[in-house]
Amino acid sequence: MNKLIQLENVTAGYDNGIVLRDVSISVSDQDFIGVIGPNGGGKTTLIKLILGLIKPVSGTIQRFDDQQGSFIGYLPQQSHIDRKFPITVQDIVLSGLMSAGTTFNRYSAADKKQALDLLGQMGIGHLARRTAGELSGGQLQRVFICRALISSPKLLILDEPNTFVDNRFEHEMYELLQQFNQKMAIMIISHDVGTISYFVKTIACVNTYLHYHPSNIITEEQLAGYNCPLQIITHGDVPHTVLQKHDHSFDHEHGHTHHHEHTHE
Amino acid sequence: MSMATLTIMSIPTNNMAGILTYDFVLHAVEAALLASITCGFIGAYIVARRMVFISGGITHASFGGIGLGYFLGINPIFGAAIFSILSAFGIRLVSKQTDIREDSAIGILWSFGMAVGIIFIYLTPGYAPNLMSYLFGSILTVTPTDLTLMAILAAVTVAIFTLFYRTILFISFDEEYARSHNAPVETFNYLMLTLVALVIVINIRVAGIILVISYLTIPQSTANLFVNDLKKIIILSMIISFAGSITGLFLSYYWNIPSGATIIFVFVLIFMIARAIVFMRNIRQRNNPVSD
Repeated sequence: MNKLIQLENVTAGYDNGIVLRDVSISVSDQDFIGVIGPNGGGKTTLIKLILGLIKPVSGTIQRFDDQQGSFIGYLPQQSHIDRKFPITVQDIVLSGLMSAGTTFNRYSAADKKQALDLLGQMGIGHLARRTAGELSGGQLQRVFICRALISSPKLLILDEPNTFVDNRFEHEMYELLQQFNQKMAIMIISHDVGTISYFVKTIACVNTYLHYHPSNIITEEQLAGYNCPLQIITHGDVPHTVLQKHDHSFDHEHGHTHHHEHTHE
Repeated sequence: MSMATLTIMSIPTNNMAGILTYDFVLHAVEAALLASITCGFIGAYIVARRMVFISGGITHASFGGIGLGYFLGINPIFGAAIFSILSAFGIRLVSKQTDIREDSAIGILWSFGMAVGIIFIYLTPGYAPNLMSYLFGSILTVTPTDLTLMAILAAVTVAIFTLFYRTILFISFDEEYARSHNAPVETFNYLMLTLVALVIVINIRVAGIILVISYLTIPQSTANLFVNDLKKIIILSMIISFAGSITGLFLSYYWNIPSGATIIFVFVLIFMIARAIVFMRNIRQRNNPVSD
């Protein structure tokens, strides 16, 4: 188990306030971490810290990057993408190879073939020449997964990958992710605790504070103990963990006794 | 405004018919070609990035520099270049660093530039005879110096897009993703803003402040009806732009009407015909659906 990223006592936020407090987590090369938590709880901020898009107010972030190949592949939320931008699907995938050192580079035939191969693996090889606007949300999501994968990153981060994905592909996608996990660490952000808990190895609940749960089985009571106001939803088609029911009287079994105020509705 | 505009615009053309020579036509054709090249690249870029409004702001803010140029007795193009680059950077910095929103910042600089230009021209002793050619353009009076500047800028634009096409494309499509890959996002944003500002200023000679934005948007929007890849939009918009300019020039001479306005009229006509073709094609496809 090689450590890839370590955050220690990180506090971070924006001009209008602190979003994350005293967060410590480390990501190693075999990890498959589900990041759950309410909207505005700081999930995306955590990802931005790891990506280096924002700097922490206090605390340290270490990257153990051996500079061999690319480090992080990232699937952002699609909300900020201009769907009408004139770019081909193949070019979107190739943009995953962009780095500070490739400003001048053109892309080789091998790069282009790899882009096509990845699109083929995702079942959308025939769309390579299409443009972003001609694709459905689910198809575009697959294109972005290819973009995140083309650089063979050591850590793959997916921010709400199931938002636009059709149910049929969702299961397929998670199985592909489990394959990719043989070669890379994965962090996946989701609202959908029920679905991801089947696929992930561990769970991080982010709601201003971060609670790391070292298994993929988590109950509503534990979530409540973490001050993580989420409902566990299970879906029909997708296999899911049958969550254990606990006696309502037990409390704070895992010793998470942070005394922070309830900020959620 | 419209009555005054009409009278002013008809002056150059009336004179033009009498002094039209082969050189003027040749220069105008060269200018149309160079404008089509620079505007093909930069227009496709601003249309793709939805920067048309900021480009309008830069264009009008540059009028301040034209006024300053007259006041100081230097070539107004240089004054305009400085004003347009500063206003482009200013809009970006103000909207990033302060709580003023970008479109508001554009509105402020847009009108401020025009105001400064008018005040300087008012303060300049004597009459500023070429002023209206800066407002409405005059492709038939471009000088060899203008053409040289246009050719240099066209060469620079071609070089930048050839060397950095992918980087420009990727940063434009998804800036945040590019940043997460350590791509030089800010460097490129400022490089491209500078290029946008310079292309606008150089083409003010051809199309004028009021009309330059049409060179940057109409051929590109027309091309975008048929092709959907930035590279293809660039190439097709250049062809449309050049064809429209030559047609417009010919019609303006034939009917003795202002060249800049005629060219824009032709651009819009081409756009509407293209839109009608696409509309008819879509109807035909709906009636005879072809499977994927």
